[in-house]
Amino acid sequence: MKRKLSDSGETPAVSTPKRRRTALEQANGALNGHAPTHPPPNGDATYELPPSQRDQSTPKKANGISATPLKESGLKTPTHKSKARGLFATPTKPKSATAATPSRVKNADRSAKKKSARVLFEQDEDAAWDGSEQLAEEILQGDESDTEKAAPPLADSIEADHEEAAEKGAKQPKRRAGRPKGARNKRSPTPEGELPAHERYFFQNRAGPVKTSNANLNKVSLLTHEEYFEKLGQYEDPCRDEKEYLLSLHHRSFPQWAFEFDEGFNICIFGYGSKRKLVEQFADWTYNHSLSTTAPPSIIIVNGYTPGISIRSVFATIVTAVMGDDVPSKLGAQPTEVLELLQSVLKSRGENEEPVTVLINSIDAPPLRRAANQALLARLAATPRIRLLVTADTPNFPVMWDISLRDQLNLVFHDCTTFLPFSAEADVVEEVHSLLGRKGRRVGGKEGVGFVLKSLPENARNLYRLLLTELITVMDDGNQSDDEAPADGGKADETGIEFRQLYQKATEEFVASSEMMFRTLLKEFHDHQMITSRMDASGGEILGVPLSRDEMEGVLEDLVLG
Amino acid sequence: MDPDGFDDALGLSNDKSQNLGAYIYQPQKHGKAGERPSKRRKVSASGNEKGHTDGRRFVPLLNGDENAQSVQLRHDSYQQLWSEQEHKIQAILEDVDAGVLTEVSSFVRDTSPQTCNGCIPTALVTVGSNVSSLSRLLSRLNDQLISTEEGSVVVLESGDAPNLKTALKNIIRATVTNTDGNDGYQKFLTDRAGPRLLGYDLDLLHDYVQRKGTKKMVLALRDSEAFDTGLLTDLLSLFKSWIDRIPFTVLLGISTSVELFEGRLPRSCVALLQGKHFEVQEAGNCVDRIYESLQTDSNTKLWLGRNITSTLFENTSDYFQSPEAFSRMVKYAYMSHFFANPLAVLFANPDPTVLSRGKLCEVVRNLPSFRMFCEDLVEEGSTNQVRDMLENDDYLLQETISCLDAGQQRMRSIFQAVLAVHACLQYTQNTKKATVSDLSVRALSGELSDSTLVDEMMATTKALDSDKLDELLGRLQDILPNGQLGAIQVDLKTLLEKCPESGPLRSGYNINSTVTTTTVVQSRVQLSKGKAELSEQDFEYTKIIDQLVVFLEEYLTETLIKPQDMFLHEAFLFDLRNPLKETFAPRPRFAIERALATPFDYLLSSSDATTTKISSKQPATAILYQLYLESGALVNVHDLWQAFNGVFENEKGDGCDDRVVMSLFYSALSELKTFGVIKNSRKKTDHLAKSAWMGL
Repeated sequence: MKRKLSDSGETPAVSTPKRRRTALEQANGALNGHAPTHPPPNGDATYELPPSQRDQSTPKKANGISATPLKESGLKTPTHKSKARGLFATPTKPKSATAATPSRVKNADRSAKKKSARVLFEQDEDAAWDGSEQLAEEILQGDESDTEKAAPPLADSIEADHEEAAEKGAKQPKRRAGRPKGARNKRSPTPEGELPAHERYFFQNRAGPVKTSNANLNKVSLLTHEEYFEKLGQYEDPCRDEKEYLLSLHHRSFPQWAFEFDEGFNICIFGYGSKRKLVEQFADWTYNHSLSTTAPPSIIIVNGYTPGISIRSVFATIVTAVMGDDVPSKLGAQPTEVLELLQSVLKSRGENEEPVTVLINSIDAPPLRRAANQALLARLAATPRIRLLVTADTPNFPVMWDISLRDQLNLVFHDCTTFLPFSAEADVVEEVHSLLGRKGRRVGGKEGVGFVLKSLPENARNLYRLLLTELITVMDDGNQSDDEAPADGGKADETGIEFRQLYQKATEEFVASSEMMFRTLLKEFHDHQMITSRMDASGGEILGVPLSRDEMEGVLEDLVLG
Repeated sequence: MDPDGFDDALGLSNDKSQNLGAYIYQPQKHGKAGERPSKRRKVSASGNEKGHTDGRRFVPLLNGDENAQSVQLRHDSYQQLWSEQEHKIQAILEDVDAGVLTEVSSFVRDTSPQTCNGCIPTALVTVGSNVSSLSRLLSRLNDQLISTEEGSVVVLESGDAPNLKTALKNIIRATVTNTDGNDGYQKFLTDRAGPRLLGYDLDLLHDYVQRKGTKKMVLALRDSEAFDTGLLTDLLSLFKSWIDRIPFTVLLGISTSVELFEGRLPRSCVALLQGKHFEVQEAGNCVDRIYESLQTDSNTKLWLGRNITSTLFENTSDYFQSPEAFSRMVKYAYMSHFFANPLAVLFANPDPTVLSRGKLCEVVRNLPSFRMFCEDLVEEGSTNQVRDMLENDDYLLQETISCLDAGQQRMRSIFQAVLAVHACLQYTQNTKKATVSDLSVRALSGELSDSTLVDEMMATTKALDSDKLDELLGRLQDILPNGQLGAIQVDLKTLLEKCPESGPLRSGYNINSTVTTTTVVQSRVQLSKGKAELSEQDFEYTKIIDQLVVFLEEYLTETLIKPQDMFLHEAFLFDLRNPLKETFAPRPRFAIERALATPFDYLLSSSDATTTKISSKQPATAILYQLYLESGALVNVHDLWQAFNGVFENEKGDGCDDRVVMSLFYSALSELKTFGVIKNSRKKTDHLAKSAWMGL
């Protein structure tokens, strides 16, 4: 048992020593409970029980009854069972034999009862959160009634016990099958009751195996750009009126903002939702309520989220707006030069000239986020006769500015939650796919790969066919060898074939005559993200295909038929 | 959520502009915009005078019923009041800087490489948290040097110096443009004889120095610690080699300490510098002075209440605010008052005929303080006056204006009393000194007169000897010109004249005048306290002390009333914590979390969907965020998607297209990613890692 413990290497090292110890005790206790040393209750020969049978009869109980305390220790890893079987190398017997003797069942029940009692006795916080305690209590009570029932005539009780055991045997596997895979590992992520934020953090980050299901998105077909926009267009927003109203509320504070501008403040608006529309409205409003009667006001709008926007181009635009046609032909390559030009121009202009309004959308967007850019923008903000309104979308944007920048920026903040979607600010589909680590999906998918293959020479197609065939074979072999192992989500991605092996096959089939040529062909696949490559533990290169098995088969079919 | 529909409705020009990096705004030609320009013309026709147009920033209050004159009056009185206060603040800042400025400028004038053994003359200025003071200092130094044509100051920030070439180029350009402007710089570059030099060649600067006859070339590094050490070393060694031709003086702004700064530089570099250390006064001190002058000045008309005061000082200590930032906040408080309080019109001392009287009177009658005032009057038995105030607008206005004056007068005396207490404390308190702002906070909440602080002060005052008392009376006399106080002082003077030889007099309350006698009675020690024999002068002196204490007690209880009990305190006491706190110390994360966790706080829903449960009526991101909150540290995307889809399926049944829901899921997911609350996890496929916990 102890060896088993240390064997189950999947127990994460992070689990606290204390927990480990209790787990060990429990495990030992469990061993004692089941072991032959335990006095047989009915005088029935439990001694002769082969360990494998024990293993057969108890796990279900242990699983159903006291798995939870064990779970906590992280011991109950999926490999546990197979390892156990490996240890006691007796061949498995058919299940029907298990529940044969009632005493055995009783024994098992009793040991479960003991365990439950122990769980109740050794209450710890974790268990309380997981609800294992409750389960244990239920078992204890349930068993009590069982034993009470068992007191009447022996034959009956045997009968009843037998039936019950059969029932349990029938019920429990069913329940297991009904659960999603990996669900028995699941700890409830939300503890009961309201926890303060920091407690919640520690609760959710406590050590232990990952308790999420193994489901993955392989079966779900992801959206393409076109489909995303098409489908989003069909959505009817239930809160449209409320959002309009919210916007109109913000609209009301425009005079206040203008007053703040007049008094030398710059404005920062934050809050959830895109504020681009609001900024545009403010630009409209400012234009129409300009105090100057002669020239139209200069308003510059900057979209900070535009990829590749440079701070110099922002300054250059402002200079153009201020100077009109008198812009010098050469502005200078450094943003500071342009900024200083702007400052000197503004200085030379009269006091009564209309100030320049600069509206920056998403000042905290990645392209503008760099400290150097923020410092330059702060200097722009500190320039007299420049009025700066910036919008910030992320929750922690104030950390961009230290005190001296804050001082220069001289901001007043307004919460302008709009709830409008960031349609222009973010490339949604791209973002999501990168979040899911599916960059390749967009280029390829089955169709994409097929399309690329069509344009490749015969040799390349043959190589790809070879690769797919090998991969599928490997997958089949793998499944045969350990079919008991759960079909893990990551499995499909992980199957691969060693570089050398593939090369050998390729030369055998006269696809590639030299390694050089072989690599050239592979590079083509690489460029189209049709293959993946990684190093295994020994340093050999493993090649794989970023497709699901179904897709692989489809492509292979097309290749063979085409 | 329908960005597409929304944006399509906005028109095509919009779509184009949203992808531009930066563009000049052009008004839209179609739609609603058509009406707006006409509005603009109308206004520009009516307001020809510049002064008049400014008032339009103010919105008519009282449901829009306020008339234009009142709005204008509010605006004007704001301008007038604040400009006075601003002058005071500026004066204080200049005064605070004056010391360091004269020191630094005399250092700059008097030192030269010759006096520094050939090293670069260096002024090390530690600014601490008072970051803004250095730029004030530098700009004033610059003005001084330029006006005397001795040279100029060039400010270099760490951002300007990514590498040596750029740094030098920036220095040279800044030097030239500082005196000759941008065109001058261009000319300077092109109009040279001989080969054209590159922008970072110090020969250029040498040329310029010779041409201008510059004696002092001050180079100020505002944030020296932020500079790259290697770059700084290169720069300084370069200056050193040019110092025989260009008269450099380096000024280093240091926010930590000189030792730390020196520790970062290599020895060889430190050896190049020789100079002096200057210290700028801490911001806190300055802030106290500003606050004191704003509140206690005899011309003050609007006071900051207790809540605001504590917010202001909280912010200053929490965020290391500069004095400027502090005064900006005060300014904002003034702005808020005049922008949003219709009573502020009374400050302009208006001609009652101009005001929209009916409305204003209604406002006054609805004030809580008016009610209290009336109740007090009724108790006193002046029911007629109350009736008049309720029924007669003219009378009410007249009364209001006089009450406003009276109230302001009382506020002034409150702060006089605060100053008096402060002065007394200078003499009596020997441990922790209470600042004027501390005392003001207590006074503004009406707690000062019976605080322990004042009690202790009284007790110690009793024990003062005559020398100290004399000084104290002198101080108090300056603050409160009061007949009774004068009489006490005269009494003391005459008493002191009577006995010039006997040193300081002690009062009967002094510990030294209590004598402990020890008697041994039947081998037991008995201690008994008794008054020491007081000399006649001391006895006289004790009387004077008693008079003073009685006077002070009376004075304080009479003056230090709770400002909130005064009629019309709404008009002359600004005490709303909120606009100030939210505008200067925002909590954006909280705002976003709240918007997402309880979206109906913001979206006032007409339907009954305001329950806390997740429903498909909520915006997609809010739904996803709430699901996210329920999940653990690691989130399975597939399960998340199922749950998300479930929310929609549950409510709409089969009628919902799960691809539409999927697109919503996408947009929500990408928004959460933008907010930085989720990131890709490598632990498992298709899993996300949570990276923010709500409320932390």
